[in-house]
Amino acid sequence: MGLRDFMDAITGRSRLPKAKSEKLFAISTASITLESNMGLKPSGAAGICFKPIGATAYESARQEIEELLEYSSKETETEFRLEKDEFNFLWAIFKDPDFEDLVANIHLVSQTLEDRGFGEQILCAIYRFDSEPEAGTTGHEGRPGEKTGGGKAVYWIYSFKQGTYYPFIPLSGRQRDSPFEFRLRTAMEMEMPVEKNVEKWYPLWGIPF
Amino acid sequence: MKRKWERDFGLQGRMLFTMFLLGIVYLSFLVFLSYSGTPPMFMLLFVGVFMGIQYFYSDKMVLWTTGAHIVSESEEPKLHDMVTRLCAIADLPKPQIAIVQTRVPNAFATGRSPSKAVVAVTTGLMDKLSPAELEAVLAHELSHVKNRDMAVLTIASFISTVAFYIVRYSLYFGNMGGDRKRDGGGILVVWLVSIAVWVISFLLIRALSRYREFAADRGSAIITGQPSNLASALMKISGLMEKVPNEDLRKVEGMNAFFIIPAVSGSSIMNLLSTHPSVEKRLAQLEKMQKEMN
Repeated sequence: MGLRDFMDAITGRSRLPKAKSEKLFAISTASITLESNMGLKPSGAAGICFKPIGATAYESARQEIEELLEYSSKETETEFRLEKDEFNFLWAIFKDPDFEDLVANIHLVSQTLEDRGFGEQILCAIYRFDSEPEAGTTGHEGRPGEKTGGGKAVYWIYSFKQGTYYPFIPLSGRQRDSPFEFRLRTAMEMEMPVEKNVEKWYPLWGIPF
Repeated sequence: MKRKWERDFGLQGRMLFTMFLLGIVYLSFLVFLSYSGTPPMFMLLFVGVFMGIQYFYSDKMVLWTTGAHIVSESEEPKLHDMVTRLCAIADLPKPQIAIVQTRVPNAFATGRSPSKAVVAVTTGLMDKLSPAELEAVLAHELSHVKNRDMAVLTIASFISTVAFYIVRYSLYFGNMGGDRKRDGGGILVVWLVSIAVWVISFLLIRALSRYREFAADRGSAIITGQPSNLASALMKISGLMEKVPNEDLRKVEGMNAFFIIPAVSGSSIMNLLSTHPSVEKRLAQLEKMQKEMN
């Protein structure tokens, strides 16, 4: 507990935690291990999710990010789109076969939001990986309803509030593949900051990529 | 691929070492007691009789205290089939199978030798786990039988039990002690030594007990060839899986629940006292085995 936290505690003030983006880059090196040891291929899609305050702030944030991304995406040739979801959260979604470019774009957006004083509004960044079809269930490739291959979508969610990652593997009917998620935790916690408290592994249903 | 049932020298070494240390503690305790006035014949008789009872009847005592009842093949054909298959793989005689009527998911093995073993599962366990997970848990219990670690633990536990009762009833023991007039200080020393014996043996047993859980996990992984099945069973049994939230992050974010400081988890002193290693540690071991097997 720092002096500021201590003073806040005494005076009864509470603040939203500042966004922690420094650990965001841990996924770059971890993605190699994920692919070689766990059979998880980067899907080439990632996104960042944040909550704009008020309608005008929403519009200006959207515009600013759109302009910024149009400019930066020319360099990396990253496809992007902005989308609003049912909870009124704004998503910036990126598509790029180069994993490093995805991380760079996510970092760019989070940095811009922080600079404009929206740092506390960033919810999370998400990287999607696809698992190979499990052994013993061959012959199901291209099943309808599944986006690619015969495997599962495996999301790594970066919480800016905690500065940690956690895995999220949605199944049909708002179920999640917890055994697989736990296996990923034990396999990856040496290589990246994985959220230790599983009670904070909140799902995000209907991730738009 | 390491599929062979290797002798677990780690486990056997630890069992011997624990027994050795417990033996020293136990003997010095007896010597101390006899010097402090308790008739040695009485002590030896007491120890002999109760150790015998413990050794021969511990399995029945376990079944009785847990409320487990033995089920026949016609009552639980699927469970019997599963155990028969696992025993064939593990090269074990088929144990008796018991069921405990409770919603708490759990399983245990008891009996002093493989031919007298009983493997018990709760109804909660059978409801909660998939067949593959149930098989992994049964293989874990059969590994306890295979490793013959129950008899050692049974005898070891007895020593700490004796010390515990002496701590509780040392005042009566002191009075029974004999003809000499004894002062209060002597009784206090007996009491303190008993406490020390109890604490040391208690910790030694816990350490051995945790190790044999790891050994049985290894055994289960080898028998089933699928460490991940036991891993997911452990998560279901421990309730760890239920701690993973199901509520959308964006909803909770609205309530600021996401900002709450995480509760302090498992202190080191609790780790020292528990008989089972933490689920996290067991999962990490199983994960390692899964990698070795691939």
